[in-house]
Amino acid sequence: MPQIFTASADTRLRALALLLVPFLLVCVLSLGGFMESTYGTARGWVVNQPVPFSHEHHVGGLGIDCRYCHSSVETGPQAGLPATEVCMTCHSQLWTGAPMLAPVRRSLAEGKPLQWQRVALLPDYVYFNHSIHIDRGVACVTCHGRVDRMPLLSAAHGFEMSWCLDCHRNPAPHLRPPDQVTRMDWSDWDNDRERQRAFSRQAMAAHRIEPEKLDDCSLCHR
Amino acid sequence: MAGHGFSTNFPPQLGAPGGRQFWRSLDELAGTEEFHAFLAAEFPSLMPLANGIERRSLLRAMAASLTLAGLTGCKWDTPETALPYVRAPEFTVPGQPKYYATAVSLSGYALPVVAKTHVGRPVKLEGNTDHPASGGASDVFLQASLLGLYDPDRSQAPRHLGRPATWQAFDADMARRMAEFDATRGAGLRLLTGAVTSPTLLRQIAAMAQRWPEFRWHVSEPLDDGNRRAAAQLAFGARLDRHLHLERADTVICLDDDILGPGPHQARNARCWSQRRKAYRDGDGACRLFVAEPTPTLTGAKAERRLVVSTGRIAELIVALERMIGGETGDIARLDADERQWLERAAAAIHSRPTNSLVTIGANHPPPVQALALRLNSKLKSTAVQFTAPIAASAEDGAVSLVQLAGDMAAGDVQTLLMLDANPFYAAPGELGWSEAADKVPLLVHAGDHYDESAAHSHWHVPLAHELEAWSDARAVDGTASIVQPVVRPLYHGRAAQELLARLMGDYRDSRAIVQATWRAVWRDDFDARWTQALTRGFIEASAPAAVSATPLDDPLGMTPPPADGLTVVIQPDLTIWDGRFANNAWLQELPKPFGKITWGNVIGVSPQLAATRAIRNGDELVLEADGRQVAGPAWIMPGQEANTLTLTLGYGRQRGGHVAQNLGYDAYAFQGVAHQHVIAVTGLQATGRKLKVATTQMHQAIDGYDFVREVDDPRAAASQSPNTARASLYPAKIYDSPSWGMSIDLDACIGCNACVVACTAENNVPVVGKELVAQGREMHWLRVDQYYEGDPVAPRLHFQPVPCMHCEQAPCEMGCPVNAAVHSEDGLNLQVYNRCIGTRTCSSYCPYKVRRFNWFEYTGDDPESLRAMRNPDVTVRSRGVMEKCTYCLQRISAARIAAKREDRPIGDGEIVTACQQACPTQAIVFGDVIDPDSAVSSRKAEPRNYALLEEANTRPRTTYLAKIRPEGDGE
Repeated sequence: MPQIFTASADTRLRALALLLVPFLLVCVLSLGGFMESTYGTARGWVVNQPVPFSHEHHVGGLGIDCRYCHSSVETGPQAGLPATEVCMTCHSQLWTGAPMLAPVRRSLAEGKPLQWQRVALLPDYVYFNHSIHIDRGVACVTCHGRVDRMPLLSAAHGFEMSWCLDCHRNPAPHLRPPDQVTRMDWSDWDNDRERQRAFSRQAMAAHRIEPEKLDDCSLCHR
Repeated sequence: MAGHGFSTNFPPQLGAPGGRQFWRSLDELAGTEEFHAFLAAEFPSLMPLANGIERRSLLRAMAASLTLAGLTGCKWDTPETALPYVRAPEFTVPGQPKYYATAVSLSGYALPVVAKTHVGRPVKLEGNTDHPASGGASDVFLQASLLGLYDPDRSQAPRHLGRPATWQAFDADMARRMAEFDATRGAGLRLLTGAVTSPTLLRQIAAMAQRWPEFRWHVSEPLDDGNRRAAAQLAFGARLDRHLHLERADTVICLDDDILGPGPHQARNARCWSQRRKAYRDGDGACRLFVAEPTPTLTGAKAERRLVVSTGRIAELIVALERMIGGETGDIARLDADERQWLERAAAAIHSRPTNSLVTIGANHPPPVQALALRLNSKLKSTAVQFTAPIAASAEDGAVSLVQLAGDMAAGDVQTLLMLDANPFYAAPGELGWSEAADKVPLLVHAGDHYDESAAHSHWHVPLAHELEAWSDARAVDGTASIVQPVVRPLYHGRAAQELLARLMGDYRDSRAIVQATWRAVWRDDFDARWTQALTRGFIEASAPAAVSATPLDDPLGMTPPPADGLTVVIQPDLTIWDGRFANNAWLQELPKPFGKITWGNVIGVSPQLAATRAIRNGDELVLEADGRQVAGPAWIMPGQEANTLTLTLGYGRQRGGHVAQNLGYDAYAFQGVAHQHVIAVTGLQATGRKLKVATTQMHQAIDGYDFVREVDDPRAAASQSPNTARASLYPAKIYDSPSWGMSIDLDACIGCNACVVACTAENNVPVVGKELVAQGREMHWLRVDQYYEGDPVAPRLHFQPVPCMHCEQAPCEMGCPVNAAVHSEDGLNLQVYNRCIGTRTCSSYCPYKVRRFNWFEYTGDDPESLRAMRNPDVTVRSRGVMEKCTYCLQRISAARIAAKREDRPIGDGEIVTACQQACPTQAIVFGDVIDPDSAVSSRKAEPRNYALLEEANTRPRTTYLAKIRPEGDGE
């Protein structure tokens, strides 16, 4: 029976093994970096939408409150996307012929919903409830970023679990007066640490927020 | 235990400290080799597959799965489209459920429900707590009706001669034919329905009879109350419906009458009985149940004294009971010692409070026998039974309606037969020869929710709308009417029964207008207010007929001689799929039947004695013969079955009716006679030598220990030897603060009806796995109801025990998990984190209660669109490879916690109701905060009857039980 392996086979195998070690190392590192990169988390990337809706214009420019369109944010788990009707409350009067708004008019005429692409995405096994966060005074900007500066919407955070937990384990710095949650610019608070600390102490006591109970798995996963 | 050839050598673990002998199967009791092999295998699911796999193939598969396992993580998130409304319906908040009060029906009677809907999709049905009949109690059929709505096998479009057709074609054909009937005064036009309580349908049928004087309406309900009404006719001279008031009955004597068993009356009877039982536990009066029956029933399991007798002895027993109550002490003929003792105790119990006593006889017994019981109740002046005019209307020819119709058909008198939600080609007694008679009918029209046996034999088949998608009305068992409102837009192109009949009469309005017309005539000027009120409350107040006084006649009752001794077949409704109408409901097919825990099929129940003499073993194919008709099915030995009685159940052996329904079990209808429908003398019994596969869960998830079901002599006696003393533990004790959740299950109240199991399935998106996998022990139910026998197999005591996750404070599963997927929460819940779980199944092997279920396959991935719409959006749909288990309905806890936090208040006691608790007709389950000493669950746990399952394991379970109360004079 002839030899299957040649005499140099051992050497070649060892060389290959040696090469494999740095290769795997590179793989692991790049994978780790990749997962946190904006490419991995889609942070800062815009998505094609049926209508190039500008939050910058509607929120920053016109000053429309978030809750005008996202109306169930205070009452339900989901903030809600506006029904075509809501868009048309204004756009039946303004820009009635704009080609950009043709899909909206078509949606109303045909009774078929607009097909928006989600930007703020959570996995299906995460049950997030907007209403309780709004009620406690977690401002919209905390998770969704400065949408008033986004001509086209993109995610401001990657929504990794560790990012959620950072806040759940230490919610105090993120609490704001609930009647102002939709405010975008909190620079006055950020610059006035004392005022912010005094408020969060009050809020934590008033709502009896116990951070040690806020990292139970069951809070979000069920 | 002499005389039936069973070993009394209990395996050692069964006779352990508690001293009581529990067993789950006869193999276990006898300690056979098969049983030891089964135990040795630990998990039946891991037992070698029948088709042997070679070692090399196994290694190859293992290597491949190991290599490919990681790839499942490489799935890139697909972009997700969000679809807002075009015009948002008022008050709809996505993610926030809305509730509608409506009703589903069972055998014509309304089961009042409150439907929970998410953005227009019903996802859960609950009992209506305001309803005067049920008080919120539910049953398996109510819970499973939801799946009926989303059933992908539902008929979706009309068919003519089996080919797809249009409604227009049907309407045109019918209009032409109805015009012809105008000329012949409707001669030859017949309508066949099931039991009808709908005032609108009755109004329409009356209008048809007026327009076509020769038109005839027939009623066929396989399990109806026809005999009961005939009995009332004999006893009181009027056809009346009886209404039991078990809440007033200190003593109930049931002679082969399954009052707590499945059926339209179950929810109400169980709720009333549990009220009485609770009053008794609180020291008010008694709650004694004496049952004599040939085969184990749910009622029998709750009996203080259960007498095993053949159906033929019932007439004898009622006569003897009447004499004993009358004071006759002399020699009452032909009673054996057991019967005499049972009757003496029963008579003594009645004597103590005659007006609070009740004697009932099953609907399958001849009317004269039942009439005796009715008269006896009158003589006792029993307050526990009342009578009203019949709730469900009957056709002119009463109980023999179907026979009459078949006769007319055979004689050629029927030109057109409309079958409205009836399936006589399947459910007519075999002896009737329905198919042959139907061949003589020129036009058969079938309207039903499935393309079933009758649809296939009909010229026209048209789909009916589901009750949850159209308007109608119906009456509950107490006569209270409900408006049935749709809770979802129709999924397919079905029509409501009312709409169908209206169109025959040339009325083209929709079902809402038709139902409104009925009630507009009743309410007149008050219509708008009362209609709205009826819809919001789910029933029409004070719409039940008034009780009438029933004066017993003195006419002699023509007693028929009891059937001769010998083998007798008793045909009963199936405990999970009823008369077959739920055959295509996978939740009910997979639901283990209370006795024997058989799923996906029916068996022939035989007694241990008969099995011993004829050498019959479980699963042996038996062929029964009577009057030239045959039926063949697998034998199943039922401890507690009368020696010469064989039990068949209806509903299986379907030829058509959906993918789930077909090719399961045997058809007991084919075995039914015309005169003897439910009790048949057997002329032949042979075993064919074949073994049939029966998927039973009776021995699955067996707990190793003792004293599972405890009993105490007195409601105030302690059930646990070391109550409330925590044993030392190696693990550090954790102090919990309020709220911290726990559950208490009262075994004294549990009747083993399974409503909780179906409710859990619906609430928690529990997948169905099918017959093959159930047989391998891979059923997924988060909540199971264990059934134990105790004592002599000939007349054992019967016990039920619902077992959800125990949420142990010192949970063994948490110690075992290598990836920390089983963890404890601050509010005392034992959590399973699906996204962490890698499926080692260590937790399951560490769990002493065997309550964890593993997803062996992707059960839900291929689900059709309609089933996806049914899922509860608040609960994760678990995927392949993860462990899952009862969460105490975490989604309901979360909803209540968020609602309370938003209002800055603590969660109130009773604010969180788990699905099983809500479904339970006897309120055996209570859930709440165990730290709050004033909560309902804490006060239950403070009762002396409180004990923990496997106390000795020191797992400190949060789910605890309340012991059953042993009947007086039964102490050991």
